Amino acid sequence: MMKGVKVNRRSFLKMLGWGGAGTALAGCDMPTTVTLEEGKEEVVSYLSPEEYVIPGVGVWYASTCTQCDAGCGLHGRVREGRALKLEGNPDSPLNNGKSCMMGQSGVQTHYNPDRVTSPMMRKGNSLQAVSWDEAMAELGKQVSSVSGDRFAFVSGSLSGHQSVLTSELLSKVGSKNHFAYETINTSIWQAVSKDLLGDAMPVIRYDKAGVILSFGADFLATWMSPVHNAGEYAKFRQGERGVLVQVEPKMTLTGGNADLWVPAAPGTEGVLALGIANIIVSRGWNKVDVPASVKTELAQYDLNKVEKITGIQGSKIKRIASLLSERGPALVLAGESTVGQAKGYEAASAVMLLNIIMGSVGTTIEPSVSFPENALAAKQGNTSSLKAFAQGLSDSKYDVVFFYNSNPIYSAPEALGVESGLDKVKFKVALTMFPDETALKADLVLPLNSAIEDWGTHVAAYQGGSATMSLQQPLMEPLYKETKGFGDIMIALLSKLDEGYKQFPDYYAYLRTSVKNMPAELTGGALASDESFWNGLLQKGVLKTTGVTGSLTATLAVAKVGTPTDHLDQTSLTLIPSARLGLWDGRHANIPWLQEAPDQISKVVWDSWAEMHPHTAAEMNLKNGDIVKIESKSGSIETQVAITKAIHRGAISVPMGQGHKEYGRYAKQTGANSLSILDPVFDHKTGELATHATQVKVSKTRKNQILIKMGGSDVQMGRSFVRTVSADQLRRTEGGA
Amino acid sequence: MSLSNILDNLSRFRQDAESERYGHHDYEHRFGMAIDLDICIGCNACSTACYAENNLPVVGKDYFEQGQAMHWMRIERYWDDEELEHPERGASFIPMMCQQCGAATCEPVCPVAATYHTPDGLNAQVYNRCIGSRYCSNNCPFRVRYFNFWSFYESSWPEPLNQQLNPDLSVRDKGVMEKCTFCIQRIRVAKDSAAREERNMIDGDVITACAQACPTNAIVFGDTMDPTSQVSLAWKKHEVKRGPYTHKEAKSDEEIRGYRVFDELNVDPSVMYLERVRDSEV
Repeated sequence: MMKGVKVNRRSFLKMLGWGGAGTALAGCDMPTTVTLEEGKEEVVSYLSPEEYVIPGVGVWYASTCTQCDAGCGLHGRVREGRALKLEGNPDSPLNNGKSCMMGQSGVQTHYNPDRVTSPMMRKGNSLQAVSWDEAMAELGKQVSSVSGDRFAFVSGSLSGHQSVLTSELLSKVGSKNHFAYETINTSIWQAVSKDLLGDAMPVIRYDKAGVILSFGADFLATWMSPVHNAGEYAKFRQGERGVLVQVEPKMTLTGGNADLWVPAAPGTEGVLALGIANIIVSRGWNKVDVPASVKTELAQYDLNKVEKITGIQGSKIKRIASLLSERGPALVLAGESTVGQAKGYEAASAVMLLNIIMGSVGTTIEPSVSFPENALAAKQGNTSSLKAFAQGLSDSKYDVVFFYNSNPIYSAPEALGVESGLDKVKFKVALTMFPDETALKADLVLPLNSAIEDWGTHVAAYQGGSATMSLQQPLMEPLYKETKGFGDIMIALLSKLDEGYKQFPDYYAYLRTSVKNMPAELTGGALASDESFWNGLLQKGVLKTTGVTGSLTATLAVAKVGTPTDHLDQTSLTLIPSARLGLWDGRHANIPWLQEAPDQISKVVWDSWAEMHPHTAAEMNLKNGDIVKIESKSGSIETQVAITKAIHRGAISVPMGQGHKEYGRYAKQTGANSLSILDPVFDHKTGELATHATQVKVSKTRKNQILIKMGGSDVQMGRSFVRTVSADQLRRTEGGA
Repeated sequence: MSLSNILDNLSRFRQDAESERYGHHDYEHRFGMAIDLDICIGCNACSTACYAENNLPVVGKDYFEQGQAMHWMRIERYWDDEELEHPERGASFIPMMCQQCGAATCEPVCPVAATYHTPDGLNAQVYNRCIGSRYCSNNCPFRVRYFNFWSFYESSWPEPLNQQLNPDLSVRDKGVMEKCTFCIQRIRVAKDSAAREERNMIDGDVITACAQACPTNAIVFGDTMDPTSQVSLAWKKHEVKRGPYTHKEAKSDEEIRGYRVFDELNVDPSVMYLERVRDSEV
């Protein structure tokens, strides 16, 4: 060919280009990938484009993630008018440019093939597509004729201007029935913080802690603000490495990262906390003075008793107590498996007592910082509102009910009778993106824009020490002509009830005006009416301001945790409907990436599974993949067994999120819904659903299937992929403690 | 691929194996990673970010069962191999993806030279040359090469999900091998921008989708040939060097936690892991 000529293919082509002969060769099918020159092999991959191919440049816009209510800031990559990739916004003090798997999947919520694409109204027995005019006319008629107390609005957590508009609608209708409902919440922790520390949402300084003792708080995956927490956790582990001890009956992601994982008997965490407190005060390790009366009360939780109730070796309990004193500053947290009990409030109070006596209040637990505008603050969802709503339904209290970002027919325990109760509601409106269980039961379905197509403002409930409002802006034009923004619908509806709203053609106009009128204390001194302020907000995506700092005053008291007896029943197991970072409370079951992502601990994909301890499984002669029937007082489900040592012998865990009857092709008929069979047990103090208080009978069926999970081996077989070093060796070389 | 080339390359490889340079390539960059297993929490953010960036198909339950999932980056989870009632020390997580070996075992076995070494130190896969012999995947000790047993385009991206596809890289069809590319499309964009601005690439110009997403910053990506890059500094601090495996009797300092998986196979992986730490006194 061209042997001996010192010219390579690229410069040859360039030369041709200069000569104007490039076009003449364009049609020739020259072998473009291999040249053998000077005995050198040079293969050009199509992976790296040719030099004359210019890679497309994406444009990044700032917005806010709405996959859970943590309110992380986003950057979205847009090319040719399409949103392609979401990444964390480095300007957001919540997530500092990072994101979780649910945040990454925002694009699959947006481009999901099962979205509702036009308004639908119930005619006869079926939902039929109607025009927006017809839908809004009917909606206006229903809303203006309903009497105030018979109107209810059911939503997930809400904040920012969406929350303002919802409150406006409720007040115009004359109703107080707003039910903000979230299965995954931190209500009991907040109630206890409020009562014992005087501040519901104190800032948790993981980075300042030397030892974290977490009673079931899965702060790396589902608790408070996971991405923010993970960033703080990394600081906690680096430098002088902090120690993490996790107490819980079923290993969560946080438990998987613990230095010591302690499976106390389900429902006995409160007793364990008081037992640890007793050791601390009796040895004088407490950092804060403890009155004699408290010491006497704690004395009843002596080691033998606590050992017997919790099933944890006394030596281990003593070790945990000494860790708290030696490796401080301490931080003690309480999460779902601890507080999801009939006496959950007491259990969380017992945990908080440890924080108080170890002097964490003021060191690892700092006063809350909140955004200085209450109207924009988060209305956090909880399950006590679900209970109240279900009660209202059974009392036939409502004629018109709105559902937004909430799907109670799926996620409420069947025993609450939400589905049958809804039959008594004359007009049900679902503002939704997807044909979920609740939407398909509605009389009017209004298709919403996705988060990537909509405007909004978000003020996260947990701000981690900052005071930030995050702006959500559309990254692209709506995919479908017939979908609308939530705010747009609210503005349209409000204009029917109040002339004042007619000045706003849409939600954008309302938002723009609201931001223009923001007082200086919200804008950090900038002039909000200035055009550049708005442009800056669009660019940055976040508005940081000086927050209002709360104050902490600790109250020392010993909670009456009692002696839990439920678990003593040897014939039943405690059902743990554990929450997953991924499918969350079931709202992400329609995202294929998240269905195919192996569960972090069990590594199972695409289905439900029941985690059981090998000992428990052996007693029942069960092996992986056997289908079992799990029966509570309130119902039963069937699913496959996944045997794991990462669970207490007396527990069976079926993660929540699967088992949808509707909700699109990826979610429908996949797995079983463990939330549906929960007994209607509530925390007696806060009214929150006791998610970990359901006892179940497990029986073998004759069916089995292959348990589909990632990876063939659960141990490394000596191949040392993951090598482990002990921390005391590390410390010795660092010359530290 | 001629026999003389193979022999020539092999002898050069041997000659250079002793030297600092190690290997038989004239590198412009050698991209590498450092992954701290003590702060990796196993959350799957990196893996999902990889699906979003690299047009990875979702294969569904049945194909997953047959081991045909296409997760370029997967989080493996291991339990301690001890006869305890419970895993007291938690789980061991490790993000596993193509280690972009300097002496890759996948490369020499390809009958059509579809997998080759780039001047950036990457094992690149030329999709349109791949004939699907799967020798490379058979020869990969890390099991990180993924073969398209089926055409997933229709099943994985039903309208309008296909609109999410990244236009900077292709969707691979049936019969083609694929694997982690260290986000080669991002490297290309960074190179182009640097060239346009008439400067050399600097640390931070490229960040892979996984490293970008990681909530704990456990993954550090960069050019190991740039002595000032974060990744180079990490390799240096933890005394991990490019080149053949050198058996160390004992660590000079316990704080040094760096190692390369399957280093003893002499494949010269471009990914350094830092040992997971557990407090055994606890």
